[in-house]
Amino acid sequence: MLNYLIRRFVVIVIMAFIISFASFVLLYSAPGGPLEQLASLQSTTRRPDPDEVERIMKRYDLDLDIGVRFLRWLIGHPRGAIMINGQEIAQNFQVGCLKPGKAQLVYPDGRVEEINCAKPVYLRDLDGRPVSNGVIALDFGRSQQLARERPVSQLINTRLGPTLLLMGVSTFLAIAIAIPIGVYSAVRQYSRFDYFFTTLAFFGSGMPTLFTGVMGILIFALIFKDLGLPYLPAGLATSNRDVVIPLFGQIESGSVADRIWHLILPVGVLTFFSLAGWTRFIRSSMLEVLRQDYVRTARAKGLIERVVIMKHALRNALIPFVTLLAGVLPTLFGGAIITESVFSWPGIGKLFINSLTASDYPVAIAYLLISTFLTLVGFLVSDVLYTIVDPRIRMS
Amino acid sequence: MASTTADLPAASRGIALRKSEGQWTIVLRRFRRHRLAMISLFVLVLIFVASLMAPILAPFPRDATGLAPRFSPPLTTNPQTGTLHILGTDHVGRDFFTRLLYAARITLSVAFSVATAATLIGMTLGALAGYFRGIVDSIVMRVLEFMASIPDFPILLIIASILITDPKLLPYPPFVLDLIGNLMLLNSVGTERAQVLTMIVVLTLFGWTGAARLMRGMVLSVRERDFIESARSLGANNVRIILRHVVPNAFPPLVVAYTLSLAGALTAETALSFLGVGITDPTPTWGNMLQFATNFMLTNPWVPLIPGIPVVLCSLGFNFIGDGLRDALDPRLKM
Repeated sequence: MLNYLIRRFVVIVIMAFIISFASFVLLYSAPGGPLEQLASLQSTTRRPDPDEVERIMKRYDLDLDIGVRFLRWLIGHPRGAIMINGQEIAQNFQVGCLKPGKAQLVYPDGRVEEINCAKPVYLRDLDGRPVSNGVIALDFGRSQQLARERPVSQLINTRLGPTLLLMGVSTFLAIAIAIPIGVYSAVRQYSRFDYFFTTLAFFGSGMPTLFTGVMGILIFALIFKDLGLPYLPAGLATSNRDVVIPLFGQIESGSVADRIWHLILPVGVLTFFSLAGWTRFIRSSMLEVLRQDYVRTARAKGLIERVVIMKHALRNALIPFVTLLAGVLPTLFGGAIITESVFSWPGIGKLFINSLTASDYPVAIAYLLISTFLTLVGFLVSDVLYTIVDPRIRMS
Repeated sequence: MASTTADLPAASRGIALRKSEGQWTIVLRRFRRHRLAMISLFVLVLIFVASLMAPILAPFPRDATGLAPRFSPPLTTNPQTGTLHILGTDHVGRDFFTRLLYAARITLSVAFSVATAATLIGMTLGALAGYFRGIVDSIVMRVLEFMASIPDFPILLIIASILITDPKLLPYPPFVLDLIGNLMLLNSVGTERAQVLTMIVVLTLFGWTGAARLMRGMVLSVRERDFIESARSLGANNVRIILRHVVPNAFPPLVVAYTLSLAGALTAETALSFLGVGITDPTPTWGNMLQFATNFMLTNPWVPLIPGIPVVLCSLGFNFIGDGLRDALDPRLKM
C-alpha cells in the first residue's frame, strides 16, 4: 500500500513537472507579454526606449535562457554566482543575452572570440535581481499585467472564495437532486417519470452553459426587472449599493442575503448543466445493481422494497460514485471558466481567462499547474477511496 | 422507448420472412421512430443548406459596416438599398442575418472538419494499437493516459490563446489555406484563414482520444474472434482484415461517437470564440457574435438570442441525432 502510494506520488510529481515545463516554454515563447505591451504603448508616440526595454527584460528575466528562467521560476535559483566555501565559481557562465547582435570578446591573452550577443548576461549579473522563492515553495512569482507586481498567490487567494462558493454549492445541489431522481428513474425504468427526466437531463447536458447563462440573465435579470417582478442580478458576486427588489424588500450591499441573491443564477445554470451527468450516472449504476443476485436475495428474504433499494441497492450503486467525486476536486478550485465569464463572477476561472487575454503568463501557469496537480491528486484519492469502499478491489 | 426492445423479436422475424430488408433499412426505420432525432435532423439540414447557400441568401456583404444605425431592430428597411435587415444590425451596423449565415458556414465547417479529422486519427491510432499491440499500443496508451489526466480545457485555452492570437506561428501549406478559405468563404488577405485552420488543428489535437479509446477496445474484442482467424487463414493481410472485418464491426459506436463529437467541437469552438481566444471579429462565428451581443445586452436584450439560438439548436440537434443513432444502430448500447 505504502509502496503503491509512493510510486503514484512520484508519477504525479513527474507529470506536474512535464506539464509545467511544457507550458512554461510554450507561454514564454509566445507573443505578447510585457515587452510587446511596451512596444505597442510606445510605437504610437516614439520608438521603444532601449533603456526601458532592457529594464523590463531584466525585471521579467526575459534576457535569460529558457532553461535558466525555468529554474528560477521553479526553485528560485540561480540567484548569482555559486558560492562554495566562500569561493565564487562559474560567475562567468553565460546565462542569457540582453541584446542580440554580434560582439567580439578580447581575452587578456590576446585571443579574440566572436559571439552572437551584444550584451551577454553572466551568472554574476543575477546578484540582487528580484526572484520568487520558486514554485516548489508555492511562490508563483508576481503578476505582470493584471495587477502589476502583486504576488500571484495573493491574486489567487482573493479569487478562491467566490469560486469555492459557486462550485461547492452547485456541485452539492446537483448531487443532492440527482440521487433521488436517478434512483427513482432506475426503480421505475421506462416510466413516464424516467422518460421525462432522462429527456430533461439530455437538454441540460446538450445546452452549453454559455447559452443557458445568457438566457438566464435575459429572462431573470432583464425581463423580470422590466416587468416589476423580483429579479436576479445580471452578474458579479455582490452589489455595489443597496437595492430594492419588488415584492421582496431591500437588500443591503454585501450582506448574506446579497451574496445569496447573486449566487442563485450562476448556481442554477451550473446545477442544470451538471445535473444531467450525475443523474445519468446514478441511474445506470443503480440499474446495474438492481440486476444483481444479492438484490434478488434481499427481496426473497421478504425485506420491504424501501430497505432493499435504500440499503442494499443504493449503497452499492454509490461505490463508483467516489471516482466521480475525486474528479470534482480540480473543478472546485478551477471553477467554471465559461459560467464565471458570463456572470462576471470574480472567481479563479475568470482570473485565468483574463490572464490569458492579457498575456499575464505567471498567473496562467500558476492556474494550470495547480489544476494539473489537483487533477492528478484527485485520481489518486479516488483510487484509494475505491479500495476502501469496495474491498474486492486491491491496489497493485 | 420501451417498445424498441419489445420489437426486437418481431423485427428479426421480419428479416427472416422478407429477405429484402437490409441492415440499413432496419437502422433507418428504427431511427425514424426517434421523434426528437428526426426533428433535429430536419432543423440541422435546414441550417446546413442555408449556410451552403450563404452567398445567395445573404442580402449584404459580410463585413460591410454602417449599413444602418447600430442595433436596428429586426425587419428594418435599409435606407439606401431598400433591402430588409431581417434580423436587424449589430453594434457596428453590420447585417445580422448575413453574418449569421456566414458564421453558420464557418462554425459548422469547423465542427465537421474537427470531428472528421479527430475521428479518423483516433480510429487509425486505436486500430493500430489494438491490432498490433506491443510497442505501438503502449505508446498510444501512455499518450491516452496522459491526455486523460491533464485538465484539458485550461490547456486547450492556453494553446488556443497562443496559436490563434498569432496564427503565423504554424506554417500551413497554401493549398490547405485555399481549401479552407474557399469552403468557408474567408478573406484571402490577412490571417483569417490561418486563424480558422489553427482552430481546427487545436481542437483536433484534443478531440481524437475518445475515438482512439473506443476503436482500440472494439479491435481488442474483435481480433480474437473466429472470423478474423478464418480471414487470416484465407490469406487476408493485415490491412484487409482491419478495413474489411474489424472496422465494420466497430462502426456503430463510432458513428454515434462521431455525431457526439460534432456537438463537442461546435460547443468548444463557440466557447473559445466567446472567451476571446478563438476566431476573432471580423470573421463571424456564433461564439464571437454572442460575445459582442452579451456586451450590449443591458440595452439590447434580444440581441444575444440571434447567435444563441442556432448554437443551442445545433448542439442539441447533434446530441439527439447521436442518441437516435445509438438506439437505431444497436439497441444494447442504450444508456
